[in-house]
Amino acid sequence: MADDNGSQNAVVIERTLDAPADLIWRMWTDPEHFKAWYGPDGATIPVADMDVSVGGTRLVCMEMETPNGTMQMWFTGEYREVVEHKRLVYTESMSDENGNVLSPSEMGMPEGHPTTTEIIVELEHVGGRTKMVMTHAGVPADSPGAAGWEMALDKLAARVASQG
Amino acid sequence: MEEDRLSETFAALANSTRRAILARLAQGEANVSELAEPFDLSLPAISKHIKVLERAGLVVRGQRAQFRPCTIDAAPLEEISTWAEQYRPVWEARFDRMDDYIQQLKQQRKT
Repeated sequence: MADDNGSQNAVVIERTLDAPADLIWRMWTDPEHFKAWYGPDGATIPVADMDVSVGGTRLVCMEMETPNGTMQMWFTGEYREVVEHKRLVYTESMSDENGNVLSPSEMGMPEGHPTTTEIIVELEHVGGRTKMVMTHAGVPADSPGAAGWEMALDKLAARVASQG
Repeated sequence: MEEDRLSETFAALANSTRRAILARLAQGEANVSELAEPFDLSLPAISKHIKVLERAGLVVRGQRAQFRPCTIDAAPLEEISTWAEQYRPVWEARFDRMDDYIQQLKQQRKT
């Protein structure tokens, strides 16, 4: 809310959760907990491999039942900062099941979606509860904007047409 | 962003003539008769389209009395098209589920 018109290429969400920071930390770093909340409704997370250490890799699979059968989406990334119970930074890219990075546009992601994004989770203990601030940002080298608005206009037009 | 402004931007874009006008302005400023050239439309009809784009904040008109050239303002477009804002509802839903899941864990611990 606070960030709506500020930094254009990041989404920042703040939540205060009724649990200690170590449990929230495990929500992000323990595959069993992560699988319980991460997937969209109707999806499952059959794979969540997480080597939670600086330079460690992650590989997550999201699985959905569609009228055309089971659809899988794979995401890979690397942990950049790991400060237990306080701060977690990792990258994310769409990939195949072996962790080879794929282009987001080919995978039907929102227009302008950068190839690599970064997720920053900051936790702060506040009287028995935990303030969590999540920032999801494009990695600058790949961020959109340079593409110019003309392309965005074409895509938007297509989107408007498809909604009509 | 405000819901009304979003609707106005979409409404302004939901017309091929207006999109063509914007595409032309992306190459540089132009006055109304220049903008009318490629279309089989009267000047008043083109002016009407430009007014819609102006209201949506997509086009700005200069003050020079004779020409009042039109220029483009891409800000409203950028606002809709950032991938990040499209992601916000995805994360909000995830954190709702995280919240629910934490409550479940607490219930289990009690029983």
